[in-house]
Formats: sequence, C-alpha cells, structure tokens
Amino acid sequence: MENWFVNIAHALTNWLTGLGLSAGWADFILLVVQWVFIIIIVTLNVIVLIWLERKISGFIQQRLGPNRLGPFGMFQTIADAIKLLTKEDIIPSATDKLIFRTAPMFFIIISVMLYVVLPMGENMVIVDLNVGVFYFISVGSLTTICLLMAGWGSNNKWSLLGAMRSVAQMISYEIPLAFSLLGVIMIAGSMRLSDIVAAQSNVWFIVLQPVAFIVYFIAATAELNRGPFDMPEAEQELTAGAYTEYTGMRWALFFLAEYTNLVAVSALMSTLFLGGWQGPFLPSWLWIIIKTYLVMIVFMWLKWTFPRIRMDHLMSFSWKVLIPVTLANILLTGIVLQLFKGMGW
Amino acid sequence: MKGKGLLEGLWITLRHLFEREITIQYPEQMPYLQERFRGCLQFDYKKCIVCGLCTKACPNNVLSYESQPDPNSKKKLLLSYTIDLQYCMFCNLCVEACPTGTLYFNHDFELSEYQRDDIKIVYEIPRSAQAVISEPADSPIEMVDSSAEPAPQPDEDEAKKQKQINAMITALKKNPVKAVSKLVESEAQAQILADILQADEKKLVRMATMMIEDREKAGKVALAFVNKELKDRQQEGGAGNEPE
Repeated sequence: MENWFVNIAHALTNWLTGLGLSAGWADFILLVVQWVFIIIIVTLNVIVLIWLERKISGFIQQRLGPNRLGPFGMFQTIADAIKLLTKEDIIPSATDKLIFRTAPMFFIIISVMLYVVLPMGENMVIVDLNVGVFYFISVGSLTTICLLMAGWGSNNKWSLLGAMRSVAQMISYEIPLAFSLLGVIMIAGSMRLSDIVAAQSNVWFIVLQPVAFIVYFIAATAELNRGPFDMPEAEQELTAGAYTEYTGMRWALFFLAEYTNLVAVSALMSTLFLGGWQGPFLPSWLWIIIKTYLVMIVFMWLKWTFPRIRMDHLMSFSWKVLIPVTLANILLTGIVLQLFKGMGW
Repeated sequence: MKGKGLLEGLWITLRHLFEREITIQYPEQMPYLQERFRGCLQFDYKKCIVCGLCTKACPNNVLSYESQPDPNSKKKLLLSYTIDLQYCMFCNLCVEACPTGTLYFNHDFELSEYQRDDIKIVYEIPRSAQAVISEPADSPIEMVDSSAEPAPQPDEDEAKKQKQINAMITALKKNPVKAVSKLVESEAQAQILADILQADEKKLVRMATMMIEDREKAGKVALAFVNKELKDRQQEGGAGNEPE
C-alpha cells in the first residue's frame, strides 16, 4: 500500500522504455501523466471541499447544510458544477476582452503549478526542487496578478476596488508569510521540501516554531483571500469584488483556483510544520491527506467564526504586528541555533 | 489579554459544530407549536349567541354574519358566518371579545389556497341545527334527525304559514299545471313541472314550501327542474333511439 503510486510510476517508465522510447521521452510522458493526475485530484477535491465547507458552515450555524441530493447532500456540488458548466458565457461589452478572458485561466494554471513541489508521500514529489519553498512562495504570489487582471479587465468599479485591495493585501502579507518560513528553513538548513520533511522525523516544526506557525497561518489566510481576510471578494461591500462580472464556467474557474490554492497551502503547512507525510501505521500519502484536510477544516472553522476585518486594520495588523513578530522570531531562532552549534550539537 | 475574544468566538463555533441542529425539515417534520399558537381562525356555531361583538372587535372587517330574528324567542338565529381570512392579521381581538368562546385559533398554519375565493371560510349553518332551535318537529320540511331535542311550540305566525303551505300542497296535488303556471313561462314547461312534482311527493312538498316562503327562489328551482328533465329526456331519446 505504501508504494502503490511509486510502483505505478516505475511500471509506466519501464513499459515506455520497453516500447523503445528514450529515457528522456519516458520521463516527459510520466510528467504529463502526473500533471493530468494532479488536475483530476484537484478537481475532485474541490467538489468534496465545497461540500465540506457548506456542511461545516451549516453545522457551525446549527443548520443542516446541503442535505437533499444523495447521502448527506454529497451530490449537491456535482449538480452545482453541471449548472455552472451549462450557463451562458456572458462577457460584458465594455470589458478588456483579452485580459477578462485570460485571467481565470492564468489563475487556475498558477494554482495547479503549486503542486509540482509538494511531496505527496515518500518519494512522491513531481519535481524535488532545491528551492522548493521559494518556488512555492513566488508562484503562489502570482495569483495576485490574476486578480488584478480580472478586476481591471472587468471595467467595473467594484471589481477594480476588489483587485486593488487584493494587491495591497497580498503584498503586505507576502512579507510575514516568507519571514515566518525562514525560521523553519534555518532549522532544516534547506529549502528542499523533502529535506524539511526529513528534518522533522524526530520533532515536528510546529513544536520548535509555534510563533512562525501561527503567523504563517494568519498570513496564508490572507493570501488565500479567505475569511476573515476576504477583502478582495467582500460580497457585502463589493458584490463579489474582482469576480463581479464573471459568470458560469469562468467564475467557476476562479472558485476552483481558490480551493486549489487552499489545498496547496494546507498541504505546504502540513509539510513544513506538521511532519509532512510522516506518521505511523498508515501509508505516507494517506497521512498527508489527513493532515491537509485537518488544516483545511481549521481554515473553514476560522472563516465561519470571524467577521471580516476592516481594510486599514488588515494593513496595520500586517505591518505593525506580524512583521515585527516574524523578525523577532528569526532573530531568536538564529541565536538559539548558534548557541546549540557552539555547544556542539 | 488581547485576542481573548477571538478564542472565545472559536470556542462558541466549535461547540455549535457538535450541537444539535435547530433546523426543522418542514414538510417532513412538523414544527412544535406552542399551545396558544394562532393558526386558522375557527368558529363553533353551536356556541354562538349572535351578539356581534366579534365583528365590532375586528379591526380589518374580517368577520361578517347573517342572522334573522328567532320567532320563538328574543334571540337571533345565525344563518351564516364568514371569516375572510385574507384580511385577518391574527390579532386575537375577536377571540378576546367573544363572550362564549365561539371563536378560537387552531394549530393549522397551512392556509394557502389556489383560488382567491377559497381563502374565505363560510360557515353555512346547517338547517338541522336551525331546526333544532326554531322549527316544530312535525313540520313538513322536517329533515331533522330524530335525536333532535324537543322543539319549542310554533307560534301563530308559524302556524299561519304552515296552513298556507298545506293549502298549496293540496292545490298542487289537485291541479298542478295551473298551480305552477305562475312559476314558469310557458305552458309546456308548466306541464313538465307538474309531471315531475306529481311523480315525487317529496319534491312537491318542498316546492310548496318554497313557493310560500320565497317566490323567487321557487321560480329558479322550478326552471332548473324543467331544464334537467328536458335534458334527461333528450339524452334518453338519443341513446335509446326510442321514437317519441
């Protein structure tokens, strides 16, 4: 069970080279297969996640949540997806057509790109980059541009306001996000995600870096545009922010991308702080799924508990609280590391 | 400590996550209603003393009734009682005004109807119920079940009326065509009507009563009788191919 997926990949490469393809081509085809596999997982995951989110929000508000279609309303999301797929594709006449059309596509592509470096089990990472964390942060922050494209291309005041907010918010929160990860990287001594997982074989980094974990959690919530930091969407103030003019599948792509991002960030969090795929008894890929889902449930719990905070509070919280805290955390981590080194650990 | 409120909020939502849902799956699951819930306004004609306080109390003119004086006593007789529920705001004022507890709210809250007219609740007071109070037990229109309480004795007016009715019955029996000729327009119709009445004793008695009590209504009923008979005859002729 542990090596199912690794064995499948090996069998595939062996079969392809057996057909007379060169090793390079076999690897390329394997990469394509992995890519398709990720997209399938992501799409199916979103269907489950939306159901889960609605169910959890319902339970928190002592409602029942979706409960009509299928057992526990599980097919509700599928029905919603079919509805969105069959909706008319409306593009308002005053929009910047090219930007308006490409924004959701870029968004989803960037979100899926995040999965490349995530170790989804022992030896189960598509590209084990030596700058994995750096790659993740830099690619993840590109989603801001997609939101700006959507807001600008829509030619709508609300959309533009939402887009501006998203840019301001993401730039502010990118800094504590990266700084909070620095402590982890300093301890592990590597930016390669598989090395960071290996460094947690004795003790999880959530124990060594609790402050970094909390700061990363807050900053990631802001990065994901989730409540209480969902300023770019802010449906009560901006209808739907940057998504106001979108309908049907284009809108659904944004939704898909947001949840894809959520999964990616939760997976990264469990990789960096919660020991990654390590865990007893169960196979490694199951462990990362369990941890990722737990983190996501906490995200949902936060979203359905807290009200949206004000824009200026949001900014001052990042610049006046999170950044000093992370800087102090880095300093402290460095001092302790040097002390231990001096003591000969 | 800063952030204490946030933790408190998280604790509340976490508790709610595992508490029982308060949603009621309505059509499948009926809600629990308090004892004094105001559903549909109900009227119990047996208790009504036709005092009219309910109609005076109602701010929206929802309630209306028809009555006639009871010849046997100083009371009034209720003919019909109408609750036009579409204007009702369930304020309970009529229920409070009613001295006998005739009006009350039940627990039925599913009051929507397909037709506007169906919203009105009309209580036609059954004749039997009226008869119990007013009419003599041996009256020819007596259709009261035997369990009726002993009726009060008819007074003079009633006796006079009864005499007239009896006279009309004999007239109808003797020379029906002439007697009914005033009810219908043509002689042929009168002939048909006479035939019907002679064939059925019950109908004859009823027609006689009606002719004394309400001439116009009698005419309408007579016309309906004739038309129905004609239709029946036509159908019979068409279906049976009987030469007539």
